[in-house]
Amino acid sequence: MNDIAIKVEHVSKKFCKRLRHTMLYGTVDIARSTLGLLPHSGQLRVGEFWAVDDVSFELKRGETLGIIGPNGAGKTTVLKMLNGIFMPDKGKIIIKGRVGALIEVGAGFHPMLTGRENIYINGTILGMSKREIDKKFDDIVNFADIGDFIDSPVKHYSSGMYVRLGFAIAIHCEPDILLVDEVLAVGDEKFRKNSYYKMRELMKTTTIIIVSHNLFQIEHLCNRVIYLDKGKVKLLDTPEQAIARYYMDFDSSTKIERGIRKEETIKFEDVYFEDNKGERINRIAIFEDVKLILKFKCIDEMIDSTFDFRIYQPNGIQLTRFDFQTAFAKNDRESHQLEIEIRNLNLPPGKYYLEIKVAEKAYIGGIWYNALNFEIYAKTSHLLQHRSGYCILDAHCKSD
Amino acid sequence: MNVEIRYTPSGPVYKGISGPFRHIILMFRELISARELIWRLFLRDFSARYRQSVLGVAWAVLMPLATVGVFVILNRSGVLEIGKVPIPYPAYALLGLTVWNLFSVGIAAASNSIINAGPMVVKINFPKISLVIASIGQAIVSLFIMIFLLIVIFLWYGIAPNVSGIFLSFLALLPLYLLTLGLGFILSLAAGVLRDIPNIMGIATYALMLLTPVLYPTPRATAFEHINLWNPLNYMVNGVRDLVLAGTMKAPFGYLYSAIFAVIVFLLGWRVFYFAQTKIAERV
Repeated sequence: MNDIAIKVEHVSKKFCKRLRHTMLYGTVDIARSTLGLLPHSGQLRVGEFWAVDDVSFELKRGETLGIIGPNGAGKTTVLKMLNGIFMPDKGKIIIKGRVGALIEVGAGFHPMLTGRENIYINGTILGMSKREIDKKFDDIVNFADIGDFIDSPVKHYSSGMYVRLGFAIAIHCEPDILLVDEVLAVGDEKFRKNSYYKMRELMKTTTIIIVSHNLFQIEHLCNRVIYLDKGKVKLLDTPEQAIARYYMDFDSSTKIERGIRKEETIKFEDVYFEDNKGERINRIAIFEDVKLILKFKCIDEMIDSTFDFRIYQPNGIQLTRFDFQTAFAKNDRESHQLEIEIRNLNLPPGKYYLEIKVAEKAYIGGIWYNALNFEIYAKTSHLLQHRSGYCILDAHCKSD
Repeated sequence: MNVEIRYTPSGPVYKGISGPFRHIILMFRELISARELIWRLFLRDFSARYRQSVLGVAWAVLMPLATVGVFVILNRSGVLEIGKVPIPYPAYALLGLTVWNLFSVGIAAASNSIINAGPMVVKINFPKISLVIASIGQAIVSLFIMIFLLIVIFLWYGIAPNVSGIFLSFLALLPLYLLTLGLGFILSLAAGVLRDIPNIMGIATYALMLLTPVLYPTPRATAFEHINLWNPLNYMVNGVRDLVLAGTMKAPFGYLYSAIFAVIVFLLGWRVFYFAQTKIAERV
């Protein structure tokens, strides 16, 4: 029990959907708490909903917990309750140690004042004494990397500098427990790298909770991950498991219509995958050898066309691209077929869609968006437990 | 490391602090821990306000000067019959307004304090009491600017104030400050829920100024006198004015009653604020 840093027991929080209710309930709640009456927070009133619903977890000192989930899942609300910005409506939270929170960097900055002045103000707001700030001042300025701008009003800062300064102040507070909300995703590459290493350094001494949409970062930094959805804990497990589950739910909830096409010199007829028995398939096992078949008609003269294929995740991220130069010099209005052999298809399990573009130098003969939806799956769950990432390597280990 | 806090639906609970007076202990602890923050926020507001405006300090005196000016004109032209005053009227009115301004500027600043800090209140946990106290600091700054103006006016008319009364008058401003703070606590919260509050308070303080004998001596045997018999602001403004001009108060019991009233409002406001501050972060 002694090494528990955070204990969250059946915590729920409700919010209003409408402004009018907010004003009414706000007045009632404040009046009640003024009179010392218990808040009737147990049930929902008209127009309210549970933003966080019966969340429980424990965190030992020195552990790092990630919280993932779609927008509106209640991630930030959980952090704000842990920070004591507002109280839970049900359940209770026990916190041992000084809490530092990075819910929004630079929230207390005054645009008119200089960076130096804002360091002192923001540091004090975050609970540092003047002596502490004096001591850490140079470190903060160095980490934020803002140089001469330290004596300029922060309203002249670039948005990156602004955020860097805010982040630098917050991490120099040296809290026992650090709550971080989606702030590592800001700034340029160099700063992101610095803050990533700083986080790793802090992890040695600090209990950390990270809310992020950057799942790779979560996977790297956290010991355990909570997957929140609509205020409820869907899974509390190792980062690999929680992230895999999150991806799975995301994929199944996203439906992509077979796409729009734009056809000038080419008329697309069909596209599909074929397995090595020559059968048309839509689900492909990892590392399977497949053929991608494209059927089309030339409707105008096509010379030196490039067939360009792109594979996307449902979230619009392009995973890979490949193209082939062909020498069709035909205007025959006949059907043709392109056969592409793909060996050891090593995309991670999930849903994908394919986009095809046919171009003659800069002239685009045809585009087929979302030409094909397909799915990659793992034949054994064993594989998934040990491999993850943007691509899955067909790697084998030998030892003597 | 030995700090342990429990967040429950009825508010935070600190380990090791219990018993019937725990809230009072926590309220004081919060206030003491907030003093450095209050000072920083005050400096922030101060430098942000006076740094980028050319007229800067002048803004603090323009409004009161205009108000006094209107009353001087109304008085001279005979539209308004202001009773007999012991010193030249402009000096008398400005003295009253100087005291009144501590209240009215303070109320205006306090009712906006939580709203203005909206993003901070929602995203950082810190003693919100410091926002209100720091914002009323601006009223103290404008009090000193007004005092400077008063000195100029007194020299101009050659009026000699009561020296010991001047020192006492600073002490006598304390209840007014506490009253402003107490009301400021409640209004800043109310404004977080109802955005109309600062606008309403602008009109309300102006109406109160006309009702309270700030710019004129209390008229005898009128409805005004009866109302002002129970108006604590009347005793607080005129008590201080009496001290500066004569060194004694004409109505010491009225002043005492007002001071007690002010302390009660202050304690009540503080307590309300303490209990309601976690609720307000959800609503701002």
